[in-house]
Amino acid sequence: MGYEPLVQQNPLRVLNMGRENNQLGLVMARAGLGKTALLVQIALDAILRGKRVIHINIGESIEKTKSWYDDILQLILQEHSVAKPHELIDMVARHRMIMTFKIAAFTRSRLEERLNDLVLQDIFRPNCLIIDGFDFESNGREALEDVKNLMESMNMQAWFSARCHREDNRVSPAGVPAPCHEIDDLFDMIILLKPEKNATIQLDIIRNYGEQVTGEKGLLLDPTTMMVKES
Amino acid sequence: MKKDLKKVRNIGISAHIDSGKTTLTERVLFYTRRIHAIHEVRGKDGVGATMDSMELEKERGITIQSAATYCSWKDCDINIIDTPGHVDFTIEVERALRVLDGAVLILCSVGGVQSQSITVNRQMTRYKVPRIAFINKCDRTGANPFRVTQQLRDKLDLNAVMIQLPIGLESDLKGMVDLVAMKAVYFDGDQGEEVRIEEIPADLRDEAEAKREELLDAVSMFSDELMEAMLEEAEIPESMIHEAIRRGTLSLELTPVMIGSAYKNKGIQLLLDAVNAYLPCPTDVENTALDLDKEEAEVVVSNNPDDPLVALAFKLEDGRYGQLTYIRTYQGTIQKGETIVNTRTGKKAKVGRLVRMHANDMEEIEGAGSGDIVALFGIDCASGDTFCSNDINWSMSSMHVPAPVISLAIKPVDNKAQINMSKALNRFTKEDPTFKTFVDHETSETIISGMGELHLEVYIERMKREYKAEVEIGAPQVAYRETITQRADFDYTHKKQTGGSGQYGRVAGFIEPLEEGEYEFNDAIVGGAIPREFISSCDKGFQKSMAKGVLTGAQITGVKITINDGSFHAVDSSDVAFQLAAIGGFKQGYGKAAPVIMEPIMKVAVEGPSEFQGAVMGSLNQRRGVIIGTFEEGNYTVVEAEMPLAEMFGYSTTLRSLTQGKAEFTMEFATYKQVPKGVADELIKTFEAQKKDA
Repeated sequence: MGYEPLVQQNPLRVLNMGRENNQLGLVMARAGLGKTALLVQIALDAILRGKRVIHINIGESIEKTKSWYDDILQLILQEHSVAKPHELIDMVARHRMIMTFKIAAFTRSRLEERLNDLVLQDIFRPNCLIIDGFDFESNGREALEDVKNLMESMNMQAWFSARCHREDNRVSPAGVPAPCHEIDDLFDMIILLKPEKNATIQLDIIRNYGEQVTGEKGLLLDPTTMMVKES
Repeated sequence: MKKDLKKVRNIGISAHIDSGKTTLTERVLFYTRRIHAIHEVRGKDGVGATMDSMELEKERGITIQSAATYCSWKDCDINIIDTPGHVDFTIEVERALRVLDGAVLILCSVGGVQSQSITVNRQMTRYKVPRIAFINKCDRTGANPFRVTQQLRDKLDLNAVMIQLPIGLESDLKGMVDLVAMKAVYFDGDQGEEVRIEEIPADLRDEAEAKREELLDAVSMFSDELMEAMLEEAEIPESMIHEAIRRGTLSLELTPVMIGSAYKNKGIQLLLDAVNAYLPCPTDVENTALDLDKEEAEVVVSNNPDDPLVALAFKLEDGRYGQLTYIRTYQGTIQKGETIVNTRTGKKAKVGRLVRMHANDMEEIEGAGSGDIVALFGIDCASGDTFCSNDINWSMSSMHVPAPVISLAIKPVDNKAQINMSKALNRFTKEDPTFKTFVDHETSETIISGMGELHLEVYIERMKREYKAEVEIGAPQVAYRETITQRADFDYTHKKQTGGSGQYGRVAGFIEPLEEGEYEFNDAIVGGAIPREFISSCDKGFQKSMAKGVLTGAQITGVKITINDGSFHAVDSSDVAFQLAAIGGFKQGYGKAAPVIMEPIMKVAVEGPSEFQGAVMGSLNQRRGVIIGTFEEGNYTVVEAEMPLAEMFGYSTTLRSLTQGKAEFTMEFATYKQVPKGVADELIKTFEAQKKDA
């Protein structure tokens, strides 16, 4: 598609993404550190690699979710020159679908129904799901296993976001904070966003497709643009 | 003739189609004693609601034009603009919003926030209109004002806070609890004209207390005194709460939510009280104009009735007594007999009759101070024009006018219809900037164009009814456009030698895509290769070429043309010769510049029960749509998509049969996009065939 340079230059290449379909990823942070910004960059990277993404946002509007993509895409276009920016914007629109749910309206069975609607009618065949706003505090291990099974049966990758709290000190042996400290084994990739003293936000890659990462090349989020950068 | 501007309200009433705004306006007029009987929209008495003055509106039960009307409630003068609810008429809504200071957003207690409410809300946000929400139809089965309030927060992103609590719901609706005064309010009499205030019923006491706490919490951030009083747990005076709500509303950070049922005559008086108490007066809102003498520098209008006049003509109507121009004054005073200047045309006009409008009736007045909405007779202008006193030259900022996306050929059935039709078209194009008309010289058909199928349909109906002009209608046509995608050079010589004086002109340069704008001409000729006087001939020739594209005959847009060389002949070069050379040059360059066809893309929102989501998405997908996203709440779902307009003809029928009539859709113009290859080939083929036939 001619976007290989964009894909190759993406600092996210450090992650072992796109190796396998049925893997589960997790982005964790306290409120306001840039979970959605990171998820959207992961989604855009998948789209540039020719994948189709469904962005599920629980508790947010279509409009807001869409503007995340528009903003980040603009930033990418500012940094990298692309021959026909309109074609890229168009391509992204065609490879992305947004599904928003009221918090109470989101269930696994409904998600499965919706995905089947899309796949059976050949409207949209997603390779990757972004699930933003999944309620880890009231959904237990079973609910997540359920979603994992669904991803496996539909041959998809899924990325979750989870919010942790400053006052909650529970942590799993691998270093994954609550509310995911008891289910961290279900994820193949875990990124923790940590605020640093110099106002940047460090990407602490706790697990990278099974491998424990020893800080070779660190990544951070630029605090003004929320774009991933090499540190 | 000095009026206290603090006691003036210019408000609009807007909502989704069929939420009952006209019914509500009717009640407002009744309670303020402007009318003496209530007529229902689809009433059995055959009179129809007062605001729906056009016959067509009465028949269809929808309001097409926004009639302005005036009434007074307690000590305030209220000008009401009744705005249409259908999305095809959004220019009317937007124009009305431009002149309003505040608005009442009506929602159906069953349907809740529907797609049109979202559009209207977005428009209100764009024009920074403070609003009160009124949840109507609380007497209907399935009414749930609490759910609607939550939707206002979720879907419209408004800080919606209920200031009332219903007493009973559905057919049981008795009245409401006023959470500020902490009293129960009932409406007695045949038409609810007697307001009875009582203690809150015991069973609602606790709920009312809880809701009042919520209300106070929400509004306390707008008033330090209130915050303090709450902290000290002191008795809180009502006026303090009103003031806090007002501040929140004016800053657009709070939307008070009221409830009632216009049809059952419940809650309207309280709504009027709230309009007086919470919505802004003309001086609360800052409006800006552009000073035409200072390169359109922005100036803030003063609202001072003693300053020079600035008034905006926002609506024209062809009344029984000639052209009626609705104006809103922003500063100064308009007086009968004065001379005013139309700053767009520079023409002076004398103010003849000045009236205050009440739907179809009117009241003669001598003058009107700033902040008022009145109508003028016999002034020739287009809507959107600004009128000023002699000494200033300002223009109210131009309004956002979208380009038409759909067109139809119409043919009058006989000679009489021909004359009436041109009268009607002349009127409509003045009234509505989104409605355009022209004669296609090749087919000598009259083409009308506008913002949607319904938009054009309504005008055709009006032609029939108001002007007795019967017309035959062609199939609707999408307004395609052509543009180029790469730079190309041209070098063209026009030469003709047929006895007498010949023609000679050579034009060379290049054309390239223009990101923004439709056409740009750049003269880069040096050394007089083309004499000065023929440069504009070239420009003219290029512009002529832009009218009809080579691929499908559609208008060409987004082209920048630079000329950098040429040659001429002392005797044989002429205006015509260079125009023809430019046309030839354009053709040469255009072919090499990879021209493409563009089509209008509409933003479509389909809403209905969740069970049909799959079917709806399938139907959109089949029509070359790109689904942007879905929203689900309970058993209700919205699908948003970008659809080519060409694929949307007859979609309402498809949707109805697909969803047993339970889903509905709205659409509005979004952008122009390149047509996919397959479709483009088809369009070109059709165009070629047409050319052969002609």
